[in-house]
Formats: sequence, C-alpha cells, structure tokens
Amino acid sequence: MSRKLTFVVLSALVVGSLLLAACQPQTVTVTVVQTAPPVKETIVITPTPAPAAEVVYPRNETLYTSGKQWGPPTSWNPLQTGAYAMGVIGLCYETLFLFDPLKGEYIPWLAESGKFVSDLVYEVKLRDGIQWQDGKPLTAADVVYTFELGKLPGVYYAGLWNWMEKVEAVDDLTVRFTFKEVRYQSWYNLLYSVAIVPKHVWEGRSDEENVNGPNLPPMGSGAYMYETHSEERMVWKRNDNWWATKLLGRSVAPKYIVDLVNPSNNVALGRFLKGEVDLSNNFLPGIATLVEGGYPVKTWYDDAPYMLSANTAFLFMNTTKKPMDDPDFRKAMAYAVNVDEIVTKVYGNIVQKADPTGLLPTWAQYVDKAVVDELGFSYNPDQAKRILDQAGYKDVDGDGFREAPDGSKIELKIMVPFGWTDWMESIRVVASSAQAVGINLQPDFPDFGGYWDQLTGGTFDMAINNFGSQMSDTPYTFYSWLFRSPIEASMPNGNFGRYDNPEVFALVDELDKTPKEKMAAVISKIQRIQLTDMPAVPLWYNGLWAQWQDAYWTGWPSAAEGASKYLPCTWNGYWNMTAILMLTELKPAQQ
Amino acid sequence: MEREVLQEVEELKQLPRPIRSEFVYFAWRNTKLRIGVSILLLFVIFAIVGPFFAKYDPHAYIGPMGAPPSREYWMGTTTFGQDVFSQFAHGTRSTLIVGVLGGCLGTMIGILIGLFSGYRGGLVDEFLNMITNIVLIIPTLAVLIIIATYLEVRGILTQSVFIGCTAWPWAARAIRAQTFSLRVREFVDLARMSGRNSLNIILTEIAPNMMSYLLLVFILQFGGAVLNAATLDFIGLGPTRGVSLGLIMNNAVLWAALQLGQWWWLLPPGAAIAAIVGALYITNVGLDEVFNPKLREM
Amino acid sequence: MVRYLGRKIFIYLLTFFVAVTIDWLIPRFMPGDPIGMLLSRIGSRPEAFKYLYTYYVQAFQLDVPLWQQYVNFWKGLFQGDLGVSIWMYPQPVMTIIRRAIPYDIFLLLPAILLSWFAGNHVGALAARIRWLDNTILPLGYLLTATPYMWLALVLVWFLGNQTNLFPIAGAYSPQYRPHLSLTFILDVLHHWFLPFLSLFLVMFGGWAIGMRNMIIYELESDYSRYLEALGTPQYLIRRYAFRNAMLPQITGLALQLGGIVAGAVATEVVFAYPGIGYIILNAVQNKDYFLVQGCFLFIILGVLIANFLIDLVYVLVDPRTRLGMTGE
Repeated sequence: MSRKLTFVVLSALVVGSLLLAACQPQTVTVTVVQTAPPVKETIVITPTPAPAAEVVYPRNETLYTSGKQWGPPTSWNPLQTGAYAMGVIGLCYETLFLFDPLKGEYIPWLAESGKFVSDLVYEVKLRDGIQWQDGKPLTAADVVYTFELGKLPGVYYAGLWNWMEKVEAVDDLTVRFTFKEVRYQSWYNLLYSVAIVPKHVWEGRSDEENVNGPNLPPMGSGAYMYETHSEERMVWKRNDNWWATKLLGRSVAPKYIVDLVNPSNNVALGRFLKGEVDLSNNFLPGIATLVEGGYPVKTWYDDAPYMLSANTAFLFMNTTKKPMDDPDFRKAMAYAVNVDEIVTKVYGNIVQKADPTGLLPTWAQYVDKAVVDELGFSYNPDQAKRILDQAGYKDVDGDGFREAPDGSKIELKIMVPFGWTDWMESIRVVASSAQAVGINLQPDFPDFGGYWDQLTGGTFDMAINNFGSQMSDTPYTFYSWLFRSPIEASMPNGNFGRYDNPEVFALVDELDKTPKEKMAAVISKIQRIQLTDMPAVPLWYNGLWAQWQDAYWTGWPSAAEGASKYLPCTWNGYWNMTAILMLTELKPAQQ
Repeated sequence: MEREVLQEVEELKQLPRPIRSEFVYFAWRNTKLRIGVSILLLFVIFAIVGPFFAKYDPHAYIGPMGAPPSREYWMGTTTFGQDVFSQFAHGTRSTLIVGVLGGCLGTMIGILIGLFSGYRGGLVDEFLNMITNIVLIIPTLAVLIIIATYLEVRGILTQSVFIGCTAWPWAARAIRAQTFSLRVREFVDLARMSGRNSLNIILTEIAPNMMSYLLLVFILQFGGAVLNAATLDFIGLGPTRGVSLGLIMNNAVLWAALQLGQWWWLLPPGAAIAAIVGALYITNVGLDEVFNPKLREM
Repeated sequence: MVRYLGRKIFIYLLTFFVAVTIDWLIPRFMPGDPIGMLLSRIGSRPEAFKYLYTYYVQAFQLDVPLWQQYVNFWKGLFQGDLGVSIWMYPQPVMTIIRRAIPYDIFLLLPAILLSWFAGNHVGALAARIRWLDNTILPLGYLLTATPYMWLALVLVWFLGNQTNLFPIAGAYSPQYRPHLSLTFILDVLHHWFLPFLSLFLVMFGGWAIGMRNMIIYELESDYSRYLEALGTPQYLIRRYAFRNAMLPQITGLALQLGGIVAGAVATEVVFAYPGIGYIILNAVQNKDYFLVQGCFLFIILGVLIANFLIDLVYVLVDPRTRLGMTGE
C-alpha cells in the first residue's frame, strides 16, 4: 500500500516539475563577441509581459501554420535573412514595397510611391500615418537609418554601399537615394526585401547586437506583434492598430498566428490530417493522392501539378573534374536524365519538369524561345548515346560502362544530403538514367555536412541543389547564383560546378545594371551560352508547397476563378511577395 | 595473455561432446525451443530462398504506385511503385546477416573481455571494467555519425561491425559476472585447495558451466543486434545502400505510408523483426531449460 | 573497506575523465564544418557570408588551438557552462538541456517504474500459474522483441489518426500556452499517454520475462529443493525465491534509471516529444558540437552514478563480491 502511495506522490512531483519547467520565463543568453578579444556578456530578456489571461489560443480565432521552422525559433532579427523566425519580415517588420510574382508588379506598401527622379537619384514617398507598434510614427528617418545599417559588415545588403552614394531624408515622408552607379535589378530587389526597422529602438544598441543579436522581442510596423515562442512554435498576436486598416482598408482576421516547428514531414502530414494545421507549407508526400481521394484538402491547382513552382532543382556537375569538364559529356547528361519519372513517380506529379533554361514559370517571359528551340534538350537517351559516341566515350573493356576518350575508367557519384528523401529518390532515378546510357553513376548520400563541404569545396562529381533559384522579382538573382563569380576556394553561394567563363560573368554583371525592359536581350545571350556549355542541368521545379483546409478559415487563394491570386506561403521572403495580402483575405469559416 | 584466453575459448567449444545425444533429446522435447527454432528456421529459409522468388529489383519502379497486395505484387507496392515483397525478401536477408555478424562480434569481444576480467580479478579487472564502462556510456550515435561520414558508403557489413563493437559490454559484463560467481563457488575453492592451476580450474570447473551461457549470450546479442540495426535504420543512420527491414520501415515512415493507408509497406517489416527477435528470445529460454537440467521439469 | 571504496571512487573518476575527454573529442572529429552548415541554414547572402563566418568562428571560440579549446571546455564545465548551442544559437546548451530533461523524467520515470512493478508482479505470478505462463510468456516475448518505434507508429496510426483518440505529436497542444490549470494538465497527460504506453509495453515484456525466468531458476535451485525437502511451506520458498530474483531486477532498474537522461531516442522522434533523445538526434544532424557534448555529458554522469550505486549496494549486500574484487 505504502509503495503505491509513494508512487502516486512521485508521479505527481514529476508532473509538477514538468509544468513548472514549461512555465518558466524564457531566458535568452546572448554571446556578444567584439572583433578583438572575445568578451561574453549575458543579457537576460524576459518575454513581453503577457497578460495572464492569454493562455489559450482559441481554435477559431487562430491561424495554425507550419512549414517554415525546421528548428526552434531563435532569431527575430530581420537582418538575419533565413534565420529569423516565421513572419518576422512580413508580419512584424515591413518593406517599402511588396512584389507580386504572378503579375510581375511591385505594390507600394510602406511607400506610397517610388521612382527615379533623375538618372542617379531614386525617391521614395512614404505613406502618411504609418505607426510603429509602440505608437510612434514611422518616418523617413527610420528608412534612412535602416539603409545605413547596411554599412555594417555582416548585413546582407552591405553590397549596396559599393554603388550607393548616400541616403537622406528630404522631409518626414520623403527619402532620397543617390547612387554612384545604378544596379537596377539589385535595387528593385532590395526595395521589396529590406525590412524597415525602428530607429528609436535600434539606435540605442550596439552594432554587434543589431547585426547578430536575436532582437527579442521584435517591434515593427506590421499586422502582428510578438506574443511568445517556445521550442515547438512561434506565436504572433494581431496588431489592432495596424496602419493598413486605416490607410488601405485591409485588415487581418486571425487574432493569433501559431506557427508549428516541423519535427518531420510525417508528423506534419499527421497533424494536417487531424485538422490541427490550417495552412501547411510542408512537402507532404502523397498529397496528390489525398486531393484526388476527396480529402478536404486544397491546393493551388485542383490537379497536377497542384502547386505553384518556387525554385529550380539543378543537376550540378563539377566542371573542374573529368569528364564533367567536357561540354559534350554534360549535354549528354542533360539528354539522359528521365525527368518525367522523377516528376510522376517520386513526386506523384506535384512538381513540374523544368524548362531547359531553368527559369521559373513566373519568368517565362525571359525565355528566348528561338535559343531554346535551337539548343534546348529533352529526355532522349538515344540522343545522349549519340553525343557520347561522337565525343569518343565508348565502352572499351566491355563492362557495360563507357570509358573516357583517353581510355580511362569513368566512375562517378551523384550526391544529395542523407534524409532529404525526395532528392534521394530522385538521384536514384538520375543514376539509373545515366547507367542506361552507359555512364557509371552511383547515388551517394553523405549527411548534410559532408554534402555541403563537398559541394562548396568543389570535390564532388555531381549533385542536386536549388538553394539560390528561389522565386523573386528578377531573373538576376537566379543567374547571379547559377553563374556566381569569382571562383574561390569555397563557393557557398552558387556556381557549385565552378563553371569558369568570364563572358557569362560579365553578362550577369551587365544584367544587374540593365533596366527591366532591356533585360531580355542580355538574358538571351546568357541562355545561348548556358545551353551551349550546359554547366548545370535544370531538372524540375520544386513546388511552392502549400496545402490548406477550410474548417476554420476560408477565402484562400487558388487558381480557381474568383479566388484571389496571392501566394499562400509562410516561408521567409514570401510574406513580402503578397502572402501578407493573402492573409487579409482570410475570413473565419461559418461554424 | 590474449592468446591464452583464445585457447580457452577454443577448448570450451569442444567440451559438450559427451552430453550431445542427451542434449538433442531434451532439445526436441522442449516446446519453447521447438517453436523458437521453427520460426527462426522459417525466416532463415526465407532469407535464403526469398530473394530468388523476388521478381524485381527492390529499388526499381516497376508497378502501379501504392497498390495493395495482389497476385502480381504479393505484398503490394510502395508509393513509387516498388515491389514490397522484393524489398522484404532482400531486407530479411540483410537484417539476419547484420544480426548474425553483429551478434558474433559482440559475443566474441564480450567473451574475451569478460573471461579475462572475471578470471584475473583485481586491477586487471578494474581496468577492463573501466573500458567496458566507457564503451557502454560513450555515445554510440555520435560515433556512428563520424564513422558514417568517413566511410563514403555505409553497408550492412559496416553496420554489423559497428553494432558488434558497441554492444559487447553487456556480454562482457554478464560473462564476467558469471565467471566471477563461479570463481568463488565452493567447488572451485575445493579444486583450488587441491592444488590445481588456474587454467585447469577454468577449463574443468568454470567452462562447462559457461558453455551454455555463451550460447545464450550470443542469442541475446543476435536479437539485440537486429533491434539495434532497426533503430539505427529508422533514425536515418542505417546503410546508405541496400535494403533492410529497418530501412523499409524508415522509408515507409518518411513517405507517410500509414497516413496514406499503405499499411502493407510499414507493418510487415516491423512484424518480421518482432517475430525474429521474439523467436530468438524464446529459443534462448528453451535452450536455457535444455542446458540447465534443473529447469527441465517446467 | 575504506581503501576499497577509495579505489572504486578513483576508478570512477578516471572513467569519468576518460569518457568526458572522448566525448569532447568525438564531435571535433566529425567531418563537416558546423559554421558553414549554420550559415547555409541561415541562408546568408553572399555579401555577408565571409564576415559572418569569422564572426561565428570567434563566437564559438573555434579559432583557438585545440588544446586551448580542451582546457576551456573543462574550465567551463566546472562553472556549469557547456557553451552555446550552434543549432539553437544563441541559447546556452545548459538551458536547452535543463528544459528537455523534465520531459524525459516525466516520460521515462513512470514508464520504467510502472513497467518494473507490473512486470515483476506478473512475471512472478506467471512462474506459478500455468495458464498465465502460457499467455504472458509469448506476449511478453513479442512485446520485448518489438522495435520501439514500430509499436509507437502503429499506436499513432490506430489511436491517433484512425480513431482520433490521442494527439500524435508534441508535449502539449499548440493552442495552449503552458500554465497551471486542470485543462492544461489534462492536455499534457493526453499527449504523454501514447509515448508512455509504447515504452511501457515494450519494457513490461522485458521485466515480466526476466522475473519469470529468474524465479524459476531460484525455485529449481539447490536451496529451494533443500527447503522443500525439509517441508518448508511453498509460500515461504516462493518468497525467498522472489527475494533472490529481485536482486538482478533491481540492478536492471538502476541501470534503466541511470539512462533516463538519455531519453528514448526512437520514441521521442516518432512522437516529436521534446526530450533529450529528440534533441540529441537534431544536434547530431546539425553538427552541434556543444549540444552533443552537453547531452552526452549528462548521460555519462547518469550511467556512472547508477553503476556506482549498484556497486555500492552489491558490496554491502554480498561480502563475497568484495573479497573477490580485491583479488588474490
């Protein structure tokens, strides 16, 4: 009897300790390092004093999302692109413009308008009446402060100051940017991606903290305010004084947005099917089956490809190694890969085959049809064999695989990170495609660290990657990734195959300085080189994974007639590509 | 010194001859042993023969996607249209190989360290015990990651070696304890008092009592290796090439087989592992009863 | 006795030192560049990459010589400072571990203790009652032979997705902010049940079988026979047998309890339960030196302490062991 009692008491204690642990205030220790001797100091930040009552986020007033966070939220600093928690730029901090990739238009946001007033001067007029979440007005001084932050090393738009002369506030609502040289593509890209931060909060802090600190709690101008976060989620609370309600007549319905950290795609699907998540931006295997099967799941399109395309998966070949240094060999690879099998079998038709140029459908206008007709490729193993035969790759020793023209054996590996399941299946297809035309190519699955080292260090043979090919306002971002220059010891930002061609590098640089209406000509030249030399083979477009359900929120965008056409996406960089407008269209479902 | 122990092990193996016929008789009469061994044999035969009946390359996309079991695809197909039966047949084979190899290696190292440690006692024992403890508590996962990244391709052989090299401490401990308790038993003391040397005592007094024990230890290591391999496969640290039951499970989970209703992809490999390991354990108890005459009546 | 204990303690300290050193070495032998991975995950733009790289290398003090890193590690250790996590930068490893351990205790302590009690009792009963033996034994073997994660997955499917009785992941519902209230406690228990059950079932099988076999051993041993011959009542013999059979079970229990801090990797991964096991896997995958090292430090401590206690108990209970250990 007493033993039982002990046990009950013990269990109660355990439960209690757990609850206490869960209720503790979040303490964040920040390690601050000065450039000289590293100094550690500890800043204890207690979370925003939350009203005691808000311990439950009612299901019908809360939008549950998932898909962005692959680890616990750790940063709310809009300068840390990619690292910041879901919604920091977009929900909390806002940009001067939004960009609508489907229409190819810039939408004035914090800015009322913006234009080049002379060849080297760009002027932005801010909307009158925008307030920070703490009630202070957002003025030109904040914009100037934000852009001047770019002078600090480590800020992602630091490059801007290589070609910008100065930025100044003409009056409270007018900002004037003066350039040494205009890089149109980079500039327009920054206009909708740099989030304006409040000068009055940031200027009191050290540069170190501004650039590398977690910036908790974040305080911006946007529709949502920081509520809380934990290992498992990020919680935003509606800002009832959001400027856009007054100035644009747009408001957001969900009182809370709870973004769940993804433990795995499997759990993400399980949660979604249980109705615990309204909008999932996860790659959910088999989602097509569920849509077809009449499950109450919605996607952008009702049938294949179901999703919009978000980026391009490339087959990178290491051009510094034999035989990948041979354009003929690379071209043969382009013809050899059975992309259709990847699209239908691996992805169950939720992705699309890529255009030979690799440009996303939203950039279709930049594809030079004539060049593609002349030099483009499609799956054709016979053609691949023919190219290889002509180039002298023949099976000399009769082992079923071709040898190089000089008679040396060809044994190649193609790699993707272990655990990236869809890519792992995909390269199995790529490898067997290559084997089918006589190239001895084997799939390899190092862990991500090994993958990344080989990829950036230039020691790999072949690999799949898509990191820098994301949807944006300009194909310049795409080409500057694909043809990153100069070639250095470590290439973490694209051109993994180390394709070295000064001509194309110059063209990409020229593209940056070319205004939109003149881009096509430059791009056409790039495409000719790209398709002739085939440094990397575009395979398929990864989807803008998005699936949602109507149980609690309606008014979702989709390809259907009458539905809005904003991107249903919570990933970083997509809130300012109209996802925030998608949010303003949502309405509570009739219960 | 090590050679001496090896010799001991060699001679240990030759000991059970006089009791062989008796052993077979009691073994056959033991229900647990019969059941356990039958199930095991079934799987072993399947592992040997199964792959010949598997019509397809386990990784090739040959059939309809996510089809339930049918006459053509006996155990259905995966979400990509791979034949689950082919995977299952090849997977059972490699899972058993990992079990046997890993189990053997684990037992061998365990015997070496355990006998030596228990026989010598004193500081030698303390030292070996420390090594045992260190291996026991060293994070196997992290070690595996390092091995995984250094070896470009992880195969089932690597996995077996790894499992064997990390699982032996339990065997060593058990064997050490057994040697230990035998060492201080009265009949050993008697033998010692009669002036026989240590090796002689080990061979004639301790070893006969250990023989059956070693077999039991091996069976447990075998089962443990199968389970360990399944866990490693499941959390994504399994072989990067080939198929195993754990890898089939891993893939089924990653591609949400259960949520999509493809139970035929996830359930069989897990059930097979449970059956194999369960059969091993039952065999273990059965053998125990056969070896230990006192237990036979039960 | 004192000398013997002193030697034991010395050996344990030595073991701790060696194990911790290996623990420190292991992540550093991991190929792959943790900072590069961190930055690739951050998706830093090319302009900032080089600056951030040097910044982080300094922040994690990876720019000092290895021996210096090793010394720093021990210094920090004695101040309870295990460094800063790379995966969850800039949170200290200590904070992360402190937050995760309660979940492990909450999940594993009841699972281990309850399965131990239940398993021992059922096992002891099975040794006595034929029909129970014939049902429990095969069931127990099947349970203990089942891969944890597979059982967990099947439970998730049936009780989580198919019948919707239980949540499938996490430690509590996303719509709650942790607080003290009955609803929240019930919610936590609701989330706890499936992972608990999957662990309990597998462990239960192991204990029950262990106990059953042990008792039968004891009942068939010489002293039991002797007592029987003397006409000692059956229940008394059984009680002796039970008591003797308990000793190895207690050892097993202590070892299991020592391993609590290690969490249950497979189960926690299936249920996305935020204990140490779940963290370890993520830390390993993200090449988080400091977090891996920190987690394993706690595991080493837990296992060593459990072992030490067992040694102590044995020495106190069984003087023969003590004599044997001091050697000839």
